[in-house]
Amino acid sequence: MEPAPPSRPRSEIRIETRLADRPTADGVQRPAEKIVIQDLKFFYGDREALHGISLPVHGKRVTAFIGPSGCGKSTLLRVLNRMYDLYPNQRAEGSVLLDGTDILSKRQDVNLLRTKIGMVFQKPTPFPMSIYDNIAFGIRLYEKLSPAEMDARVESALRKAALWGEVGDKLRQSGLSLSGGQQQRLCIARAIAVSPEVLLLDEPASALDPISTAKIEELIGELRSDYCIAIVTHNLQQAARVSDFTAFLFLGDLVEFGSTETLFTSPRDQRTEDYITGRFG
Amino acid sequence: MTDITGQPTPTPTARARHFGAVAARGRRQDGVFHAVTLAAALAVLLVLGGVIVSLIAGAWPAVRTFGVDFLLTETWNPVTDKFGALAPIYGTLVTSTIAMAIGVSVGFGIAVFITEICPGWLKRPLGTAIELLAGIPSIIYGIWGLFVLAPFLQHNVQPFLIESFEDVPVLEALFQGPPYGIGVLTAGLILGIMVLPFITSITREVFDTVPPMLKESAYGLGATTWEVVWKVVLPYARVGVVGGVMLGLGRALGETMAVTFVIGNAHRISASLLAPGTTISAAIANEFTEAVGDIYASSLILLGLILFVITFGVLALAKLLLRRAQARSGGTR
Repeated sequence: MEPAPPSRPRSEIRIETRLADRPTADGVQRPAEKIVIQDLKFFYGDREALHGISLPVHGKRVTAFIGPSGCGKSTLLRVLNRMYDLYPNQRAEGSVLLDGTDILSKRQDVNLLRTKIGMVFQKPTPFPMSIYDNIAFGIRLYEKLSPAEMDARVESALRKAALWGEVGDKLRQSGLSLSGGQQQRLCIARAIAVSPEVLLLDEPASALDPISTAKIEELIGELRSDYCIAIVTHNLQQAARVSDFTAFLFLGDLVEFGSTETLFTSPRDQRTEDYITGRFG
Repeated sequence: MTDITGQPTPTPTARARHFGAVAARGRRQDGVFHAVTLAAALAVLLVLGGVIVSLIAGAWPAVRTFGVDFLLTETWNPVTDKFGALAPIYGTLVTSTIAMAIGVSVGFGIAVFITEICPGWLKRPLGTAIELLAGIPSIIYGIWGLFVLAPFLQHNVQPFLIESFEDVPVLEALFQGPPYGIGVLTAGLILGIMVLPFITSITREVFDTVPPMLKESAYGLGATTWEVVWKVVLPYARVGVVGGVMLGLGRALGETMAVTFVIGNAHRISASLLAPGTTISAAIANEFTEAVGDIYASSLILLGLILFVITFGVLALAKLLLRRAQARSGGTR
């Protein structure tokens, strides 16, 4: 059953539009702003969960969203690929610019947007099919490849996710037969197989043991050079280890945003300091 | 030695004896409990065995008289005592096929709509309507089919079908002859409506068990609703869906009353779906009161035995398919 109706745009959507790091006047390379969130408000029915948030997410950098439970960090992440669209009572106001285009606009093709923005969830979500098909699933949606090309794409995605060595010889096995940590790396491989520009990671290691967590973090470190990564995490050490920028959210407000180093060593806001020193949250 | 209540503290040996007695009583109670559950389980086997034995015993005269020919002949003549089951078997299979074609396609559609697409306010009324459909007694489907659906088909649908397919190869044969209203197609339609709620509610239930995160992962790759349902939700829910379909098929094969009303009860096989026919259960229901001869009654019981075997075969096949599907996907779920 081959999908890809002819009317849908195929591989041309993945022409490299990633902005390169631009040199600035002072000669220092600054990361480009891949995503710019402006005055974003989010509603679950009548309840406002985000109260006007503005921040940039830089290309080829890792941005961490931290904050206590219910602060809106996962909500913020789910706005970036319009996952909330699936649920009738949820809506967003404001604007989110991806390479200058407002993705919250009604004209934005949501499916097309999601091919550019991959997402990995709290728990591993392998599809009920073989390891190979798990990776090929997303590719087949938009591209028609020869078996050899497909094999190469699957292998390269698994290699990037540091999983090839463990599953290279059992690609036909069910994705559900892998361990939790392997399943999560499979999900990351699946997300990067379609060559997205942005990766959204929603507490990707929260359901994993420490060794698997370390592998995921190592992987994030390797992927940062190719993707714009936004990660939600409960684990402050993790945010400090993997991210370049950190945004601290509290009760639906953005309290502080800055380079991870600055935010963790000399926070400007008292609430940030209280949170990162473990006084609440 | 006394404890705080003033009772003498039991010596270690007395304590051990007391515990031993309690344990022995527990063992006796558990023994009775085991026996009771065993009896309940045996009762089921006994009833099943009894039904099979009495079916075979009752059918034996017919088996001896007609042998394998019973399955292969179309004749059903109470006057000359010549009986063959080919027409009812054919009718049962054809009506069930039509019913499943309708029930499965529409049932899936409803289930997908309710779980994936439906706005919140419509979910409950729609679900309730489906459940009510399952609650309608089959006799009501029967009279509705006879007095409302059949005349409607006769005047509005069947002439159109006959005309449209007049010169189309195969289809011409399927839709030919006078539009009676009642017949195999009408029976299949009624059956389709009757199995619809079963297939819908079970499919819907298993669709609801699919973790939202799994669906979101597929949506997150840019998949459309159709792609998510077809490639992620269905494979995940496969076992339950097949179960629901088989339950519907079981009902379609065995359904008696509604079919008896609208199928026309003619012991013959025609290529046309518009012609009257009969099914195993309809034939039994219709004729058992007038089955005076031993062979006649025995033939009807043999029909029942055949239906039993068909239904059993369908169930066995379903189990086999499921096991194979599970083995292929690496023992998942």
